[in-house]
Amino acid sequence: MACAALPADIIELVALRERMQVLKALAARRGLPVPATGWIASGRETLVLCVRPERWLVLTVPAAPGSALAAWQPACAGCAATIELSAGLAALCLTGPAVREVLARGCRLDLHPEVFVPGSAAATSIAQVPVILAALPGGWLLLTPATTAEHFRDWLAATARPFGFATGAGVTVASLAGERAP
Amino acid sequence: MACPARIARGLLTDPARPLHFRFDGRELQGLAGDTLASALLANGVLQVGRSFKYHRPRGIVTAGPEEPCALVDVIGARGREPNLPATTLPLTAGLVAESQNRWPSLRFDLGALADRVAGFLPAGFYYKTFMSPGWGWERLYEPLIRRAAGLGRLEASVGPHADPAETVHDHADVLIVGAGAAGLAAAHRLGATGLRVLLAEQDLAPGGGTLLDGRWARWRESTGAALQSFPTLRCLMRTTVLGAYGHGVFGALETLSAEESARFGGLRERLHVLRVRRVLLATGALERLIAFPANDVPGVMLAGAALRFLTRYGVAAGRRPALFANNDEAYEALFALAAAGVHCAGVIDPRPESRAAARAKALGIAVHSAAVVGAVGGRHAVRTVTITELDGRPRFVLEADALLVSGGHTPVSGLAAQLGAALAWHEPQATWIPELPAPIGRVAGSAHGVCGLAAAARDGYEAGDALAVDLARPHAATEPPTLPPDPEATAIGALWEVRGRGKAFIDLQNDVTADDVRLAVREGYEHLEHMKRYTTFGMATDQGRIGGLLGCAVLAAARGIPVAETGTLRARPFAQPVPFAALAGAEVRAHYRPKRRLPLHAWHESAGATFVSTGLWLRPLVYSREPGWTPVLEEARAVRERVGITDVSSLGKIDVQGADAARFLDFVYANTFSTLAVGRARYGIMLREDGLLLDDGTTSRLAAGHFILTTTTANSASVLEHLEFHRESSCAALDVVLTDILDQWAQFALAGPRAREVLAPLVALDLSNEAFPFMAVAETMIAGVPGRLFRISFSGELAYEIAVPAGAALTLWSALLESGARFDIRPYGLDALNTLRIEKGHVTTAELNGNTTADDLGLQRLLKQQGDFIGRTLAQRPGLTVSERLQLVGVRPVAPTARLRNGSQLVAAQAPGASLGYLTSATRSLEFQGWVGLALLSGGRQRLGQRLLARSPVHDESVEVQILSAHMLDAENTRVRS
Amino acid sequence: MLRIPCPWCGVRDESEFRYRGAAEARRPEAAAGAAAFNAYVYERDNARDWHCEWWLHVAGCRRLLKVVRHTVTHEIRSVEAAPGAPGAERGR
Repeated sequence: MACAALPADIIELVALRERMQVLKALAARRGLPVPATGWIASGRETLVLCVRPERWLVLTVPAAPGSALAAWQPACAGCAATIELSAGLAALCLTGPAVREVLARGCRLDLHPEVFVPGSAAATSIAQVPVILAALPGGWLLLTPATTAEHFRDWLAATARPFGFATGAGVTVASLAGERAP
Repeated sequence: MACPARIARGLLTDPARPLHFRFDGRELQGLAGDTLASALLANGVLQVGRSFKYHRPRGIVTAGPEEPCALVDVIGARGREPNLPATTLPLTAGLVAESQNRWPSLRFDLGALADRVAGFLPAGFYYKTFMSPGWGWERLYEPLIRRAAGLGRLEASVGPHADPAETVHDHADVLIVGAGAAGLAAAHRLGATGLRVLLAEQDLAPGGGTLLDGRWARWRESTGAALQSFPTLRCLMRTTVLGAYGHGVFGALETLSAEESARFGGLRERLHVLRVRRVLLATGALERLIAFPANDVPGVMLAGAALRFLTRYGVAAGRRPALFANNDEAYEALFALAAAGVHCAGVIDPRPESRAAARAKALGIAVHSAAVVGAVGGRHAVRTVTITELDGRPRFVLEADALLVSGGHTPVSGLAAQLGAALAWHEPQATWIPELPAPIGRVAGSAHGVCGLAAAARDGYEAGDALAVDLARPHAATEPPTLPPDPEATAIGALWEVRGRGKAFIDLQNDVTADDVRLAVREGYEHLEHMKRYTTFGMATDQGRIGGLLGCAVLAAARGIPVAETGTLRARPFAQPVPFAALAGAEVRAHYRPKRRLPLHAWHESAGATFVSTGLWLRPLVYSREPGWTPVLEEARAVRERVGITDVSSLGKIDVQGADAARFLDFVYANTFSTLAVGRARYGIMLREDGLLLDDGTTSRLAAGHFILTTTTANSASVLEHLEFHRESSCAALDVVLTDILDQWAQFALAGPRAREVLAPLVALDLSNEAFPFMAVAETMIAGVPGRLFRISFSGELAYEIAVPAGAALTLWSALLESGARFDIRPYGLDALNTLRIEKGHVTTAELNGNTTADDLGLQRLLKQQGDFIGRTLAQRPGLTVSERLQLVGVRPVAPTARLRNGSQLVAAQAPGASLGYLTSATRSLEFQGWVGLALLSGGRQRLGQRLLARSPVHDESVEVQILSAHMLDAENTRVRS
Repeated sequence: MLRIPCPWCGVRDESEFRYRGAAEARRPEAAAGAAAFNAYVYERDNARDWHCEWWLHVAGCRRLLKVVRHTVTHEIRSVEAAPGAPGAERGR
């Protein structure tokens, strides 16, 4: 199993009350997919997750500080709250055949490929910390709060050791998004 | 010959791989594949322990985890591990085991005197006997009893030798518990449907009862091969399902094989948490004991256990065994021993005749029908068996070296009972049979009261098919394979107790006799649950598995009611003792709980900080590794006199957006936020609905519909939950979005008279009092980073809090340090922060402790007069507003050299026993000589200027203190506005 | 252990949720007085029966759920999003 840090700008878009259709129309104009709760979708160099109803996490390739928020905040005025979380969430990409077995040592969810099919996304907790997990054809995307990310990575490395653990590199939002989820 | 009792080739043992081991210091030899119990028996070791209460010699009674007597200590890499059943302990090379509860030796045990005076030690004896003198129990009797009674010794130290452990979460459509005939048959059917199946078996190989009958080898192999071919079926061997926890959740403990243990770094056990849609309980049945005098002499063994020892390990339970049984199935042990060339002393069967008895006679074995065992001769081993008529008259004395016993079979129904199974009394087998509600699962095989392997397998096929239909995954009906026919059997002749002279045990591990049950009934403990607690029947680690029903039957007889009316003992989780290490799993040491690290953790570390754990956080306490107050006061002095900087990133931060954000805050806060201007911050307090304080913090308005709310570090999670709950319940109609942004932002407090001068070069903002006054807020570039600037102060000095995205924390921190270098800026830790806020009378979680009101802390002016808010009504209750309540005050010792301690009780000198309040916070002071503190004092605001004593009985200290206003420093707030 | 079928996240362990009390109790109007608030905060029937209660899914969607559970068998009869809260469309 390999674990790579995934550099990403992360913005959360939250529909304001009864403004959901306006937000969806805006997203459609801008080519941003808005998956249903429990799913991840990929757009151009973008990953969009929905694990909380009416809230979307938008992952993009890192750009200048503040630019990701600036890209959405003005347009969303009146239809969505926009919150920058790039520094608040650590994004990891897990790959390899042992990922499910390793995660089963902390994750209470059923990650069987016929249950948690590619494209699935879920918020849960692993090793006592909050985790957002998504299955992509090219690997597993995992988001965890920045302040406990080191604890989580330590746990992951220790748990994965019997299966073989390596630190991966070179994964980008673009490369993950390129493998389009069904 | 090394192993005199090894008379045949066992199914599991490898004669080519002898293993040496030690038991009570004796060097012995067994075979790879043995358990400690089979190896001991092979060596002719019959006595393996002393009993719990009477210290009677005890032997091996069963061949499985239900063993009540053969518990041993193992001394190995883990230190001394007590209470391991020898019957499941795999023999390993160099194993060192010791018997338990004997002194000085197993053969000669002084504690056995207890057996001689047993008449004085009936059930409940210690409730009656050790009544006086009053001090006697704690100081004399209990220590004596504890020394005399008991099992193995626990080693006090839990050292680094504790093994790693892990927890695994598993999911399936169906969990099958038990891989005997029924479990394997059901797995075969279910596996073929493509359903996800988990098959858990406590034994190290599948097969259950089929392992003991050669005719079943082919069926077992073909079924096993089929199971291997099902991609959605997983077999967990050496795995005991420990308990059923409802909603399809089960716990199971897997003992790893040597190869897998090596792969997982020496891991011995793995705890599985199973989540399934249905369960199939094929847990089998356990043979039960019969109560007769001296039914505990080493050599008395359950008949089925003798069959297991012979078939699996090639070990004979005796060279001249007798059988005492009331059912045909039990005869199989004798037939197998006879076939292996063992001379059988005879059979004692209470039934007048049976098919099995006829077979025995045909084999030339003497059968004593319509008879029972009235006594057993021998103390350390069986020597003779006295056969009596059913009415108690002696008939015959048999010479035998082992007595195999069988009182019938009881379904293993612990898991079923935990799942709420209905238990029905089944008279033909004299036992309870469990039935599960369909939405939970099914019971099959001998656990279901079915007799015979073929019948069990057929029941398993049927149950598997029914579950497949239930889960909408039926498959084409297939012809069941031809099964070896079950022998024709005569019905059981229910027999529970043979009364006579001597102790007839119903619970071998806790030394409970049939007489104890009768005593309990005489004394009024008639209900099964009362009798159980009075006698401790079924309360040992084996939970009375082989004697459970027996005790119920003895109780029923004593009360003159049918057995079916006593009820049953509840088998509680865990099904077997579980090491705590296995339950803790991997959440030990570094992984015990998460550590939250500040964005600048590495910088703080390199700056020599001593860290303190507050909740999950690691925060710098002081930037020094040396103890004492000097470095703390140096840091605080920098803030008071020049400028200091501290990391407050752990404060909770919640982003509040939406058209109704202000209305929402007005409801959740006791004070008003809708009147707050954009670009301003306000201190706020939140109440719980019961009127007590929940939390405090500053909230800033960035735009009309955008606020940033801060919480205390300790309450950040609970405040967020509180707000989310109210957003969706009492405020469901409001347009408001809450987002936890704690991890996104690093936040630093820059405090001290020079703070403005340090900050000015880093921002393109007029920081003058006119342009950016106290409580002003701005979103601005700071040191080239887009950030947020707040003019708020916790220290009581001119201060700014600056927030930037966590990734830019070091950039900003370094820029501030550089800019502050000319003022000798100092980073300060939690200790200095505490000193500063105590002097200023600012509260933290020590005072916001869940028991205080706004009024208690002098914050009553913040409660708004207009409009509803959480806690508004109940905060007005008389009990929360009376002046005798504990109110916040400042405290200073009269003698400047005296120290204050948190938790000291405040008392009046003339009534030192009556607490008037207590110290919540204390620190060495900078502004004042000596110590200062904050306290919660009854009617405190009326006591300003009084002198009281601060008493700490723990430290045997009593310090005279003066009561002051909590605002000890700069009460007019001129510094923060400077 | 309860397994609660969250309408947004699917069936999840009880440990992912925070119990938030009886859902039938309605917060009184501001002017209802101390007795009404006292009843709202403290008085519960504790019946052997179906019980309507709030559970906040803190480790998942962080949404509030209204759960009807039997206090004896722990059977869960229904789970729904907090009424009136945004997002009526169901998850998986």
